[in-house]
Amino acid sequence: MKMICVVKFVPDLDSIVHDGENNTMTGNNSRMILNPDDACALAFALQVKAEDPDGSIEVVSMGPPSVRPHMEDLLRRDVDRGTLICDSVFDGSDPSVTSRVLARYIATRPFDCLLTGSHSLDGGTAQVPVQLAELLDLDQMLGISRMDPDRFDRKRAVFQVAEEKSVTTYEMAMPCVLSLTRESGYKLPYPRLTDMRRDVSDELAVITNQALGFSTTEVGQTGSPMKIVTTRPKTYDKKERHIVQNDEAGISFVVDFLKERGFL
Amino acid sequence: MKKTCIFQDTDNTKKTADLLEVARRMYGNEPFESHAVILEGPSDEIYGAFHHIIRLSAGLVEGFDSRGICDVLENLHQTNTFDSILIPATCLGEMIAPRLAVRLQTGLAAGVTDIGRNGDRIAFIRPACSGKRLQGLEHTGEGPVVMSIRPNAFEYTSGGGVETEMSEYTQPVTSRTAVKRLHSEANKQTYDIRDSEVLISGGNGVKDCFPKLYPLADALNGTVAASRKLVDQGIAPRQIQVGQSGKTVSPRLYMALGIHGSMPHMAGLRQIETIISVNRSSHAPVCSLSDIVVQGDAAEFIDKLMAKMLSADPKKKDR
Amino acid sequence: MDKNEMIENLGKILSPAQVNTDSEALYDASADRYKKYAKVRRVLDVPLPAAIVYPKSAEEVSKVLAFCNAYELNVIPRAGKTATEGGLENWKDNTIVIDALYLDKILNVDTYNMQATVQAGVPLQELEDELRKNGLTAGHSPQSKPVAKLGGLVATRSIGQFSTLYGGIEDMVVGLECVFPDGHISRIKNVARRSGGPDIRHIAIGNEGALCYITEVTVKLFRYYPENNRFYGYLVKDVETGIKVLREVMVNGFRPSMARTYSEEDAAQHFYHFHKNKCVLLFMAEGPEGIVQATCQAIEAAVETFKNGVVEQVDSRMIEEWFNGLNWSQKDIDDEYEGMQNNDSHAGYTTEISADWETIPRIYNSVMQRIKKEYPRAHDLTMLGGHSSHSYINGTNMYFVYNYHIHCAPEDEMRVYHHPMQKIIVEETLKHGGSMCHHHGIGKFRNEWTMQEHGSAYYMLEKLKEVFDPKGIMNFGTIYPQAEGVKYQT
Repeated sequence: MKMICVVKFVPDLDSIVHDGENNTMTGNNSRMILNPDDACALAFALQVKAEDPDGSIEVVSMGPPSVRPHMEDLLRRDVDRGTLICDSVFDGSDPSVTSRVLARYIATRPFDCLLTGSHSLDGGTAQVPVQLAELLDLDQMLGISRMDPDRFDRKRAVFQVAEEKSVTTYEMAMPCVLSLTRESGYKLPYPRLTDMRRDVSDELAVITNQALGFSTTEVGQTGSPMKIVTTRPKTYDKKERHIVQNDEAGISFVVDFLKERGFL
Repeated sequence: MKKTCIFQDTDNTKKTADLLEVARRMYGNEPFESHAVILEGPSDEIYGAFHHIIRLSAGLVEGFDSRGICDVLENLHQTNTFDSILIPATCLGEMIAPRLAVRLQTGLAAGVTDIGRNGDRIAFIRPACSGKRLQGLEHTGEGPVVMSIRPNAFEYTSGGGVETEMSEYTQPVTSRTAVKRLHSEANKQTYDIRDSEVLISGGNGVKDCFPKLYPLADALNGTVAASRKLVDQGIAPRQIQVGQSGKTVSPRLYMALGIHGSMPHMAGLRQIETIISVNRSSHAPVCSLSDIVVQGDAAEFIDKLMAKMLSADPKKKDR
Repeated sequence: MDKNEMIENLGKILSPAQVNTDSEALYDASADRYKKYAKVRRVLDVPLPAAIVYPKSAEEVSKVLAFCNAYELNVIPRAGKTATEGGLENWKDNTIVIDALYLDKILNVDTYNMQATVQAGVPLQELEDELRKNGLTAGHSPQSKPVAKLGGLVATRSIGQFSTLYGGIEDMVVGLECVFPDGHISRIKNVARRSGGPDIRHIAIGNEGALCYITEVTVKLFRYYPENNRFYGYLVKDVETGIKVLREVMVNGFRPSMARTYSEEDAAQHFYHFHKNKCVLLFMAEGPEGIVQATCQAIEAAVETFKNGVVEQVDSRMIEEWFNGLNWSQKDIDDEYEGMQNNDSHAGYTTEISADWETIPRIYNSVMQRIKKEYPRAHDLTMLGGHSSHSYINGTNMYFVYNYHIHCAPEDEMRVYHHPMQKIIVEETLKHGGSMCHHHGIGKFRNEWTMQEHGSAYYMLEKLKEVFDPKGIMNFGTIYPQAEGVKYQT
């Protein structure tokens, strides 16, 4: 079973918190982590490979040179091939362009299944996995909350998508694109200490635009139909502490507060 | 005149008309022509709100077939040349919109929650970075703008009274999809406290009346949680323990009833919008992080609050 | 001798009911709280002991030790299981754990001569509860009090939260009984003081099970005056100011029972509700009324002397409330255990060092700098701080506390996170002339620095081991470094 995992490295947003006192965001947003949904997809692929002697995994990502060490970290697990699509001409690409670049590379690779995450912590659009499928003329499903390991092979995959009110089981023929969510709970194992010390730098393939052949107007900011023109932090109201007693006035205050905030 | 195409909100068909508000904000108060494409449900819900209602004929396409539905929208666009195509960001919608954008070779604004205007330039506002930032996007390409819209982000309050033309779409779809729906079941009520927006959490101060927390949680559409002290005493199960060695939660509302607020407990709380604590001692550490501190006995508070809420809304008695 | 023969023989020396070979019990006995995370995740890399035995008397301990000595079986003396530095970890296949479970009697409480005699397996809390009935206290109150037992508390030279007033365990022990590997039982009698040659109690006190097995202890008693307890809390600008105030109180001749300075981050753990991101200084005075009053005056005067560094006073009631919730219980340990199964985290670790007044702030600062610069997993740290909590006329301790997200395989946690942290702290401490082990014992995981810690005096420790444990059966790897054990460390 040949699997390609498409992944993205994002800032560690979970560690950024809102400081109510100063009404700012604090935390270290310069650290990159593997997007949690994507980590689940890779973890699932690793589980499949562990049971399948013919299983192979290629991890593909499009990103700046700074994600190299993170890709290498993935190579330290049981991943067979790592490919980083990296070229300054791609800088500033919106998700539509990213999808086209990834699709062009992946179209040259043999695979039975493309595994991805659903939403990314930073963009959160779920756009790339869907557009990748469209460009490669494949079926795709977002929001997969559970895979059936016994019905996952070169012919088809059976999986569940959990929504608020219902859980639906689907079957999809291979090849296809399956996009998992972190709710699926697949945990990426950590590399062992001996592997952490291994030098894997020459196991990472770096693909530039030379191999893909896009013109400069097709990619980067120029090639992107949607541009980010503003970005600002979400503002919160400054917090004020109220101290009340367990009496009529206090209880009324609480009830009014709850009504105002939409809890009642 | 601008033309907009709106795909049905299949999760909540009544809300389909709310997307007209997006068009209204984009086009200022200029009139625009609206087309609704519906898959299921009665059309009278939206009759009078749209100029055209196009119903897909029964059995034409499966409700989960994003590629087939894309065919329909693509064809309708070839015929009508829409300026914008708005799709609700349901699970299905999130799979239709990006595909359509590729087919129409245009840009996509995904998960839009607001529309901004800069002169005659339209900005599509959407949350990014796990909701911590708001992005404003502009469409610079050619072709229609394709958008997916976050649920409940817009509300349309026009009076209706539009002359609606009904039609049926019968052209077979050409995309071959190899997806089968095997089976669907109701999502069993999740008791994972991490999924709840409202947590009613009890500590040692409510150890003798812990069962009272459940009706209170019901009344507020929330879930009951507990501190370690109650789990240690066997009063609450470990699955609902909040704290460093238990679960980390981020509800919108955290009600801490009789909870002291030791650091291991507080370490389980992240990014809570509102904390209401009820405690006999105003020195309890939890009070320092609370938006409302109720000084007094937590059991008494629960009784009084329930009584007040019932008197305000008698319907709740039936819960 | 093969394992089965070993077990059979032990069953004959004691009784079959006193020999435990249950696999879960053996797994639990193979490591202590140093490897708590790996233990919970079932990935310990050390061998299982062969059996756990529960002797009922010093004579039985003697027979077991003699047997182990004859057949060169490793012995791990064990009581409360609260060890944190690997002292109870097992590095040999043929190990017998000797557990003080049945040595659980309080033998005598002498309220006139102010002494109590207990067997090694008596939990400290049990003794304390008994003493309180008579308005007395043992004065020894480590955080592990509800769970720890006297044998281990003496073997590790433990310290309690009120040591600044009552002293460490070494100040409280009157006499004791211990058994050596050759089976010899030594009873050191109870006298208030003597000069009868070197003080041989100190061969047992602090031996960490590497020289002998403690079976009985007599400790001093103190009158208990809880009604006189007084608390003080202050926010101070930095750790140096806090240390200066502590020193002022000590050097002027006063002994608060608790005298602590917390760095900002460490303070956040305990006092987030009032510390306002400052360092916290706190005192507790206890004892007879006059003494408490005088101590309070001394505290207030010392604070006044350094008032430039003091930001504000904190409501004493908050300090008192905090103090009342301080000790661990078995439940805390169990809860942490459960938490470690599901979360990639635990409640943190500590490294406790000591030095003189001048040197402590220097060590603190250079450790913090080095960690920020060199520690490879600084980005995973969720807490890093320290507090001074045991003071003497000539110095104090510094308790480094740290916690981190565990982003590695559970079996690698020590090598990836804890050991590199501890290494920085120990190296800086030894460089500045302090001690790397204020009160937890060296255990196994600081044995790579034992010789540096003692310098030329290591000779004296070494000779003790040669004489009392020539075959090296007592707790292989504890205190004394062993080449064979290095694979479990790095």
